[in-house]
Amino acid sequence: MESLQREDRVEQRPLPLKKIETTKNKKPNNKKRKPSKLAVRENIWGYIFIAPWIIGLLGLTLGPLLFSLVTSFTDYNITSQMNFIGFDNYIKMFTADPLFWTSLYNTVYFVIFSVPLTTVGGILVALLLNQKIRGIKYFRTIIYLPAILSGVAIYFLWMQLLSPSTGLVNTVLAWFGIDGPAWLFDPEWTKPALIMMKLWGLGGGMLLYLAIMQNVPKEMYEAAELDGAGGFRKFIHITLPMITPIIFFDLVTSTIGAFQIFQEAYVMTENGDGGPSSSLLFYNLHMWNNAFEIFDMGYASAMAWILFLIVMVFTFIHFKVSKRWVYYESGDE
Amino acid sequence: MKKKWTFFLFAILLLFISGCSNDAEATNADGKIELDFWTFWGSETRRPIIEKMIDDFNNSQDEIVVKHTYVPWGDIWTKNLAAVAAGNPPDVIVNDIRSVALRAENNQVEDITDLMSDGLEEKFDPKLWETVVHEDKTYALPFNTDTRLLYYNKDAFREAGLDPEKPPRTWDELKEYAEKLNIKNGDTYEQVGFYPGWGDFGPISWMINADDGVQLIDDGEVKINTPAKQEALQWIVDFKEDLGEETVQNMSAEFGSEQQNPFINGKVAMWIEPGTFFTQLDQFAGDMDYGAALIPSFTEETGNWSSGGGFVLEIPKGAKNPEASMKFIEYMTDVEAQTYWAENNFDNVANIEASEKALDNLDGKAKEVYQKTLESLEETDFSTVPLEYPDYTDLVNPNIDDALQGDMSVEEALEKAQKDVEASKRETE
Repeated sequence: MESLQREDRVEQRPLPLKKIETTKNKKPNNKKRKPSKLAVRENIWGYIFIAPWIIGLLGLTLGPLLFSLVTSFTDYNITSQMNFIGFDNYIKMFTADPLFWTSLYNTVYFVIFSVPLTTVGGILVALLLNQKIRGIKYFRTIIYLPAILSGVAIYFLWMQLLSPSTGLVNTVLAWFGIDGPAWLFDPEWTKPALIMMKLWGLGGGMLLYLAIMQNVPKEMYEAAELDGAGGFRKFIHITLPMITPIIFFDLVTSTIGAFQIFQEAYVMTENGDGGPSSSLLFYNLHMWNNAFEIFDMGYASAMAWILFLIVMVFTFIHFKVSKRWVYYESGDE
Repeated sequence: MKKKWTFFLFAILLLFISGCSNDAEATNADGKIELDFWTFWGSETRRPIIEKMIDDFNNSQDEIVVKHTYVPWGDIWTKNLAAVAAGNPPDVIVNDIRSVALRAENNQVEDITDLMSDGLEEKFDPKLWETVVHEDKTYALPFNTDTRLLYYNKDAFREAGLDPEKPPRTWDELKEYAEKLNIKNGDTYEQVGFYPGWGDFGPISWMINADDGVQLIDDGEVKINTPAKQEALQWIVDFKEDLGEETVQNMSAEFGSEQQNPFINGKVAMWIEPGTFFTQLDQFAGDMDYGAALIPSFTEETGNWSSGGGFVLEIPKGAKNPEASMKFIEYMTDVEAQTYWAENNFDNVANIEASEKALDNLDGKAKEVYQKTLESLEETDFSTVPLEYPDYTDLVNPNIDDALQGDMSVEEALEKAQKDVEASKRETE
């Protein structure tokens, strides 16, 4: 799913953005003149065509969103009560729920390590796969393959791979004389294990980088070569600046995605309880447990909104900082 | 133009409404009441059994027809919750025995006190009956239950010079026998006698066993940091140290990924599982000679406390036909249906007479093990979800893990667990 959405957006991105100023220019006239019958009819048809989307947005996104905001100030439990309790849920979250902090720590840990690693990894692999050698298509397919597999099957596969004494990972480590850790059974190693699993699926990001790398004009490299630039300098001074829009896009989407990590921990820990010493109790898992194990929907809604704020702050920072390092060929977007 | 626009809006609204209102028809074409019964019993073995019972009910009278809907284990209760909230729940559902009071308190289940036939209470195991009563009202009827037993490998006992007819009765004996049953080859274990962290009996169960049945939340009081529970946790920590951190971790992981049970393939000589484990042994253990015993007691004076769970049949809040549903539930918990379930699943059931009948009808090893489950049920703790502390296990388990990892002393861990849980207290009406 995730990777599909990304592709969609990439396809949209390179569309030349001709700024259509026509409506702006006509504005003064529009105010005086009544729109023609044809225009009204076309507008109505327009609305009819997007009606499914509007209904979906209002009914399935905005409605529930607002509902959860209201709910977060109540003791709503889905079936019997919904009393207004002010900021109690928020106060409890920050003062009386030790697992809230555990889950926040685990999630931030995961974001801080997995996002940069998958981004750098994606760029490096794309760089390798951007070479002109025989059979490159097959390499690309192989690297991309894990990205199209998804969900529970992969988690089970990795549970086998990470098995301390019989798993493939530790077997390979043993060849090099390394005594591998117990991975999912050792609280120190559970999160690194998960991050490693995520790295395996970096094909999605890789594909984006590969696409934009192939769009970098050849002339630039030729010019640089004439000036005597080597491969490394070409990468630093040409490739990297030219792919910054995608790096930026990848950073924003994967940060948001990483904050929402849930399935992995739910599937890979016993009873979905967050693993040894709660080391895989991620924010969304704790929220889910509150909502559906003990029916404290009010509290879970409050948690959802705090996560929303956290993610929004991160995204805001990304956008602010992006002005300093993201380069758009077509000018300022 | 405006007319067209409003017409269009109306059309959409109508579509919307007709799509949403999905009022279940109370009666079908034959004038019979139709009931929707949700279970998670969809496996090859269980599905035919539950469906046979439903058929028997349908044939036993001509007013009600019950339809079975299989909903997978991971979804059934959240779906039910959503259905209750939407006002269109199933008529009868199988639900968890430990959280009946929580659902009653949260208005998710119908009060069936006035719908029940007289004298129903006497038919059921009193401890199971307790779980379905909340503030003097009844909200469900218990259906099945389970209890854990200590299975031990008699062949291994003989090899180690132990009497195969004398399983360990106390924790001290358990530890002693476990050491005798260990078989080492260099640094690796070929056979481990016993480890309390494996099998279906977690640290919390051991702690309750040591405290002679006193739960972590006992009658609304937090009783986590008690001397007996400290001793219990320390006992597990010592056990782990004796075997070695690495052995325990490696073998735990192996057991998790293997198809075959470590007791069946001879890697562990004593192993705790529910009574139904017998069916696996019967099928896969070949000619291995084994026995089943009660969970050893902490001391000579304390009880053989085991842990158990089970399921109830209940009517979700807002169901359309509570009277008919109740008839069905009473049928399913009566002697005939319960005996059928007990015999065919080798499961423990809530109906006392059915349990006895099932025992009579079994023979050989099956009878021997079933007999033990009935004895064990006398001292089985169900740890029903306390309303003031519904999520206490989430708070306790990480601390127990920390103690087992050696990151914290047992005293510190349980003190912290006690404090965390006390701080999480909820107000109840």
